[in-house]
Amino acid sequence: MLTIKNLKKNYGKRAVIKDLNLEIKAGEIYGLLGANGAGKTTTINIICNLIEADSGTIEINNKKVSQGTKKYVGVAPQENLLYKNLSCQENLKFYGRIYGLDGKKCDRRIAETLAAVNLSDRAKTPVESLSGGMKRRINIAIALIHEPKLVILDEPTTGLDIETRYEIWQLIEDLKKQGTTILLTTHLLDEAQRLCDRIGIIKEGKIIAEGSLNELRKLIPAAEIVIIKTKETEQAISRGKELGFCHRYYGNDLAFWLPEKLELRETLELFANINLESISRKDVDLEHIYLELTKNGI
Amino acid sequence: MKYWRETIAVAQRILTELWRRKRSLIFWGVFPIAILLLNGYIYGGRAGIPTAKAMEFAAPSSLVGAALFFSCLGGSVATVVSEREQQTLKRLFISPLSGVSYFLGIFVAHCFIGIGQTILVYTVAAFLGAKFDGSILLGLAIVFLSILAYVGVGFILGTQLAKRAEDVNAIVATFGVPLLILGGAFLPTSILPKNLLTIAKVNPIYHMNEALVGVWARGKEFAEIADRFWFLFIFALVTIALGWISYRSTIYIEKRL
Repeated sequence: MLTIKNLKKNYGKRAVIKDLNLEIKAGEIYGLLGANGAGKTTTINIICNLIEADSGTIEINNKKVSQGTKKYVGVAPQENLLYKNLSCQENLKFYGRIYGLDGKKCDRRIAETLAAVNLSDRAKTPVESLSGGMKRRINIAIALIHEPKLVILDEPTTGLDIETRYEIWQLIEDLKKQGTTILLTTHLLDEAQRLCDRIGIIKEGKIIAEGSLNELRKLIPAAEIVIIKTKETEQAISRGKELGFCHRYYGNDLAFWLPEKLELRETLELFANINLESISRKDVDLEHIYLELTKNGI
Repeated sequence: MKYWRETIAVAQRILTELWRRKRSLIFWGVFPIAILLLNGYIYGGRAGIPTAKAMEFAAPSSLVGAALFFSCLGGSVATVVSEREQQTLKRLFISPLSGVSYFLGIFVAHCFIGIGQTILVYTVAAFLGAKFDGSILLGLAIVFLSILAYVGVGFILGTQLAKRAEDVNAIVATFGVPLLILGGAFLPTSILPKNLLTIAKVNPIYHMNEALVGVWARGKEFAEIADRFWFLFIFALVTIALGWISYRSTIYIEKRL
């Protein structure tokens, strides 16, 4: 659906995208994960034909990106870019017509899209009187109005409260069930972990790792992570080294990577000589992988 | 078809937004009537002519010199600035909307507003006894050229100078009010000193005003106002071209944000 090859983009002397390669298959949710300034937005802007790449190629639906491929892409920017005086229906109608829909087809798509984002009962409500979550849903609905081949959701839950975040996640999961291809950019690791089939980690304009969560898990040699709290940090680290465990600090937490999963009792036995305040076990998740790969965190 | 559909979509959106702002809509109606009445009574009183006759001369000046200026020039500046502030401009750039359709959409929306104000001004003037004998088509052509010129200038100011909503009033006042005074919108140009009259002759509002007064108040034919008409025509073309260039440069700047 989307293929990016050897993409490069400089702003003046600063290289923002350095040889970026990426492929998104039809029907999948691909998460593009990276810190602010990693090159996510520039990549999106190039896909949307807003800015031109210095070199490389981008194909959407087997066509090179141009003014003509804009109709294949639906973008929900991270800000709610809406006409506040207009109703949900009027906002959708405006963009529907801009994307070439007219008459009954436009009306049908408005009804379908409002239903998809669960706002059918708010069709005639002015956007300015909607809650933050509803505005975000209409923002996404506009991206869907013309049935695009590829939907780009740029940090769709940034700045939303947790309940609204769950609403948006549900919406994205529903879109996936309908077979929509989605490029999701986010810096929320739990969001990417929950929603994405494959994840690409972008750092300084380059994809440094890519794959499903299970594939990414294989990039760090740990089956489980044990987090301990103790005043005897040095002794704990020494003991970890004796056992051949890598150790990391996640914030103030001292963590050991265990090459295989152990029972809690077995883990406690390993650190029996250390005066532990607490011990907990965690599966390796995207946060650990991301921190390991990018080294400097989000 | 694509351009037509997009143009109508943009125009309809602007008009719907205006319709939602009922207060603004009422003021856009009150303003030209107030200017017409003031102009008419001042003109009638100073020239010692009946109110009906004074209204015939006051109506064209009030329309092109005041009503259309603020609604079409100020309105198009505000439209562009509001799109920038709401960041909807960026969403439009992402969409397949062409720049031509966007400009035409703003023009068409302001044509509707301008025609509405024309009907309003001339209905009130007619109610006060004014009669108009000139060519309706020629008068409308002048009104359309005026709207085109105002929207073009509005586009330039909106894209190049007014970055925020707060800038709009200052910019419209700075550029507009001197031009309106020199154009005869509030005072007859016959009272202008010679040097100011020379300056007024390069002022498009002066030509709009004189052309429309000539046609709709004095019943002049095209040949008699041809110079002013062609001045307006060329001015409108130049502002559209400059407006287009300004829009392109805005796309370039905004895309990178």
